[in-house]
Amino acid sequence: MSKLLHDIKLIGDDIPWLKDMRSAGRDAFAVSGIPQPKAEAWKYTKPIRFFAEDFTPAPRGEGCLNPNKNLPFNACKIYFENGVFSSCDDDLPQGVEVLPLIEAIMFKPEIRGKIGALADVSKHPFAALNQAYLGEGVYIKVAAGTKVEKPLAIINHITADQELRQHSLRNLVIMDDSSQAEIMEYYCYDGELKSSYFVNMVNEIYISENASLHHYKLQSEAYKAAHIALNSVFVAASGEYKSFCLQKGADLSRNETKVILSAEYAKAEVDAAYIMNGWATIDTTTDIEHLKPFTQSSQLVKGVIGGQAKGVFQGKIHIAPQAVKTEGYQLHKAMLLSDEAEIDVKPELEIFADDVKCSHGAASGELNADQLFYMRSRGIGEEEARQILIDAYLNDVIAKIDNQEIRQFMSMAANPLKERE
Amino acid sequence: MEPLLEIEDLYAGVEGKEIIKGFNLVINPGEIHAIMGPNGAGKSTLSNVLCGKPGYKVTSGRVKFKGKDLLKMSAEERAREGLFMFMQYPVDIPGVSVTSFLKHAVNAVRKHRMEPELDTMEFIKLVREEGRKLGLTPEMIKRDVNVGFSGGEKKKLETLQMSVLKPDLAILDEADSGLDVDAIKIVADGVNALHTQDKGLLIITHYQKLLNYIVPHFVHIYAGGKIVTTGGRELALELEEKGYAAFVKDNQ
Repeated sequence: MSKLLHDIKLIGDDIPWLKDMRSAGRDAFAVSGIPQPKAEAWKYTKPIRFFAEDFTPAPRGEGCLNPNKNLPFNACKIYFENGVFSSCDDDLPQGVEVLPLIEAIMFKPEIRGKIGALADVSKHPFAALNQAYLGEGVYIKVAAGTKVEKPLAIINHITADQELRQHSLRNLVIMDDSSQAEIMEYYCYDGELKSSYFVNMVNEIYISENASLHHYKLQSEAYKAAHIALNSVFVAASGEYKSFCLQKGADLSRNETKVILSAEYAKAEVDAAYIMNGWATIDTTTDIEHLKPFTQSSQLVKGVIGGQAKGVFQGKIHIAPQAVKTEGYQLHKAMLLSDEAEIDVKPELEIFADDVKCSHGAASGELNADQLFYMRSRGIGEEEARQILIDAYLNDVIAKIDNQEIRQFMSMAANPLKERE
Repeated sequence: MEPLLEIEDLYAGVEGKEIIKGFNLVINPGEIHAIMGPNGAGKSTLSNVLCGKPGYKVTSGRVKFKGKDLLKMSAEERAREGLFMFMQYPVDIPGVSVTSFLKHAVNAVRKHRMEPELDTMEFIKLVREEGRKLGLTPEMIKRDVNVGFSGGEKKKLETLQMSVLKPDLAILDEADSGLDVDAIKIVADGVNALHTQDKGLLIITHYQKLLNYIVPHFVHIYAGGKIVTTGGRELALELEEKGYAAFVKDNQ
């Protein structure tokens, strides 16, 4: 049996289609295994280094507490504790349905055909592994025409006291026609800073005609953890997917976003920031497919890398032959704080249509010594001055967050000095 | 009364090149000193050494600020102790607003003096009021530090920083460069208003123009890395008339 694949008793094995999906996931992962350094999609990130030891799924019920993490913004909260659905606020806005995924699988036959349809197990080894354990996660459905005022916050809290656990979670989000919502994913931990665990996330998101989802994520895992996430998004005509992800924790972290702009006027904005020290590898991978005319995408990704850490950005924009009059923009910028820090950038533009506007750019730099000195000459300590400059550097990408409270929360999270205040 | 600044037989330079060679100067509270020198005399090196810019090395000599060893302090410690460098080329900091920058600076200084930090409303009121005196609008104070500022506006912003940080000794490095007469007057009025009997000013300049507006008690002519002549206000006028060559030659 491959590493990371374990025979454990899972709820719902009596549902034939679920059992089949799990088997398909197992089979796909058994073939691919953990991506080797030569695998193109993983050649900079090299996940194999992290998996020298095996990780086992947590037995059911382990540490099933309500972590009750307070969030400094108004939200409807959905909690996961150690990878298990724990609770959901009961004041759900009207038109919003939230269920533990396994209940949705049991009682909502219509979701069959949606789960697993976007996250292709033949192309994404970790999604295959995730599907082998399919069952944990949350199902969110926003009814047609519903405009959800409060963000929905999914808090994934790890009590990092069990070594070498793996947590597979899958969220299924369905935004019906003309609905609007904001979802915030927050990954956090308590306990042993150096605990090694593995969070394997898949989000499958369907945005119907004219619907809009703003998707925020803060990855703040323990230092020795691995966090690998695939966000697979399908956008229908005039639908909008707008996301911002800040990655600041874990030893190995990847946030991969694949968006299919399937019909005219579908739109995606995929922004991200990362900030990393030590020896970690932090990866932002995007793949935007423009299938139809008048689709639009933009991406701004900014990173700050210090110590011996490595930042990876892979950004693909694909424009299909019939997708004329589309726009696709991508910009990655990184600031290197040390000589040993590294960034690897791989932009890929595949343009098969004429009459499109498309661009990509990449830049890297370091902290400006004159700015640093100017601040110090006014009494600001060196550490504080560096942090102010890093803050200023990330400011424009964080400013893309429309929700003011979440923007503040992210801005705090990106700045350890502010967090201390 | 303890001097604010005592520089004794200072030798210093940058990139292995000795530029300051046997420099001596004492500034007492209440005094305004001007150091005038030709291009290449080492005026910038002097100001950079005094404010602790990385890369500048002192090979020998002593510098005391309010009785403490200045050379042992980091740049930020010097500022917190009450030394202010009015920069010739203020730096742009995109993404950092004037208000936020000044708040960090003022609170760092106040913390050092064991004074409570100012609250935001109090602080904004103070900055707006001081800015208004210098012709800096609230809109400009909201902008990023020096970004899109004209030469004159940058110098007004330096003056604003000086007025909220209230240093004991300010060093004005070519404060009038790039300024028209109106702007010089505004900057000079601002600086003069901050000068009291317990504070000192050191004006480093090539031309004597600024000294019409900030009148020094002492004028020093600086060449070859040290002071070659010292006099009163009239020395600057004489220098303007005769040129540097006359003074530098006399002393070689």
